Amino acid sequence: MTLAAIDATGLTKVYGRLTAVDHVDLKVSAGGVFGLLGPNGAGKTTIIKLLTGLSDITEGSAYVAGFDVRRQPMHAKQRIGWVAAEVILDDDLSAWENLWLQAQLQRISGWTDRARSLLRYFDLDDRRSDRVGGFSTGMRKKLEIALALLHQPEVIFMDEPTIGLDANTRRMLWEMIRGVNREFQVTVLLTSHYIEEADALCDHVAIIDHGRFVAQGTPDELKARVRAEFIELETRPPLAEAELLALPGVQSARSQGSGWLLRVASADETLAAILTRVDPRTIHRVNVERPSLESVFIDLTGSRIDSTAGEVPDYRKFYANLRRAQR
Amino acid sequence: MTPAAAEEAAERRVLGWWGRPGGDWVAQGRQFWGLYARELLKTFRNPWVIVITLVQPFMWLAFFGASFENVPLAELKQLLCGLSNPGCQAAVTSYVQFLLPGVLATSMLSIGMFGAMSTIQDKRFGFMKRILLTPTSRATVYLAKALGAATRGLVQIPVMIAAAYAFGVTISAPAWMWGGWIAGLALLGIGFSALFLAITASSTDWQTPGVIANFITMPLMFASGALFPTANYPSWMQTIAEGNPVTYAALLGRDVVVYHTFSAVDLGYLALFAAAILLIGTIVASRYLKAE
Repeated sequence: MTLAAIDATGLTKVYGRLTAVDHVDLKVSAGGVFGLLGPNGAGKTTIIKLLTGLSDITEGSAYVAGFDVRRQPMHAKQRIGWVAAEVILDDDLSAWENLWLQAQLQRISGWTDRARSLLRYFDLDDRRSDRVGGFSTGMRKKLEIALALLHQPEVIFMDEPTIGLDANTRRMLWEMIRGVNREFQVTVLLTSHYIEEADALCDHVAIIDHGRFVAQGTPDELKARVRAEFIELETRPPLAEAELLALPGVQSARSQGSGWLLRVASADETLAAILTRVDPRTIHRVNVERPSLESVFIDLTGSRIDSTAGEVPDYRKFYANLRRAQR
Repeated sequence: MTPAAAEEAAERRVLGWWGRPGGDWVAQGRQFWGLYARELLKTFRNPWVIVITLVQPFMWLAFFGASFENVPLAELKQLLCGLSNPGCQAAVTSYVQFLLPGVLATSMLSIGMFGAMSTIQDKRFGFMKRILLTPTSRATVYLAKALGAATRGLVQIPVMIAAAYAFGVTISAPAWMWGGWIAGLALLGIGFSALFLAITASSTDWQTPGVIANFITMPLMFASGALFPTANYPSWMQTIAEGNPVTYAALLGRDVVVYHTFSAVDLGYLALFAAAILLIGTIVASRYLKAE
């Protein structure tokens, strides 16, 4: 009988007038990689803050590694690891000193052997005496994961683990997270707004929007739920809804900004019809969304997860943090 | 949760009670030591900190101590001791000698600012989250920061005394008096760094410590017996000086340096001051210390 690694019921967080997390039920079974997928500001990071006891729960209950986060936060904290989106280490200390400090804070004895083997595992053993300030982003991320694993936690929280990383480092990190999950038998709860990350990495995904779960399941289950494809179409002048619904295969049309979002049985067929019936010179933009976690999100909420509009300030902050941290 | 899982959870809760993470003093000691050692490592790895620590006392004594250079010694004695104090007039040999205990006392005032700044830096860079996501209590973080800052300030003491020797001050008091004086300075430093940290516990603004430093440091420095004899002050300023712990540290030191006597009352006052602020600060910080 395994205990649920995370078991939250009716989890709610209200900041003033904003309900950041709205009655979320979250059950994560031990051993897997669980992804919270959603756009920026959906409440992913807040959920992590609530589950780790960093932020007070407004309403509802949360058990992490078997302990009530509200009543026994210290017990829960002994059993969790944490990897921050912005890579938080003490740059003035060496890799080994960072590990030493973490061991003191977690009050674990006999940690040196484990620390050595973790440094070997993450290929950092020849840099253990070097100051962390001089490490590359990839190395810093690795050291942070090593810190999170040092006290043999049952659950590791990873907040946007690959944000701001280039494609190669990101792929390397995916493999590393998979490996960590397997070899250290630790449950991973991660947040992401990258569709392909959730798809490639997670056994189980919860899609979150405006503080609520809109869908949950394995990536395949979620994709199977949407038996449709989507076409985003923008024309000048705009087409009338009736014209669109008259196109073959169109199930519904939803206005999206200055264009339309068409739910269709087969994008290929409808696209061919659009190109013959609509004057191609009026088409301003057309985009096809195949079945993916993105299309699940579009189906449920009418908007995209990866809308770049909301991301710009976030990235700026991220890189500013990184620069400051590397100084 | 299934019944079996609930049972297992209940069992773990019972076991966990014996190893109470929050209540175990030894365990908290390790967390404290880790954070305290981090403060010192970070501070003294910065070469500028060392340079400033070494240079600052010389600057004080060189510039401020020289400000009465052209006053004849007889007049200086009258100024510092008053006319009707032959004991003092016999003991004072220079303004630097009179000034040394006061400068050391005022330098303890400003060290709290560094502790507050390093705490705000930890909040800004997210390191406070890393700390508070381990089973470390806010009170432990607070105490480590306060004592770390105070320790940093204590390093100035031997440097300053060496500087005073370089300016011709000789002190022939017995060693235990020296020890008592340095203990008094340490208590003053702990009290003020604890005060700063408590005031800035919920702040994340870089500017706060500086603003508070100006607000606290300036009045307490001048409304004390650290730089000038309080006998020359108006009565309202004398009242402030009488409650001001800086005065007690300065007088404690002046007794040792100038008169070779020791005041246990002054030391006791400083101990009371440090203990009270630490207690209040710990309560405030365990409630209001912010993670970010």
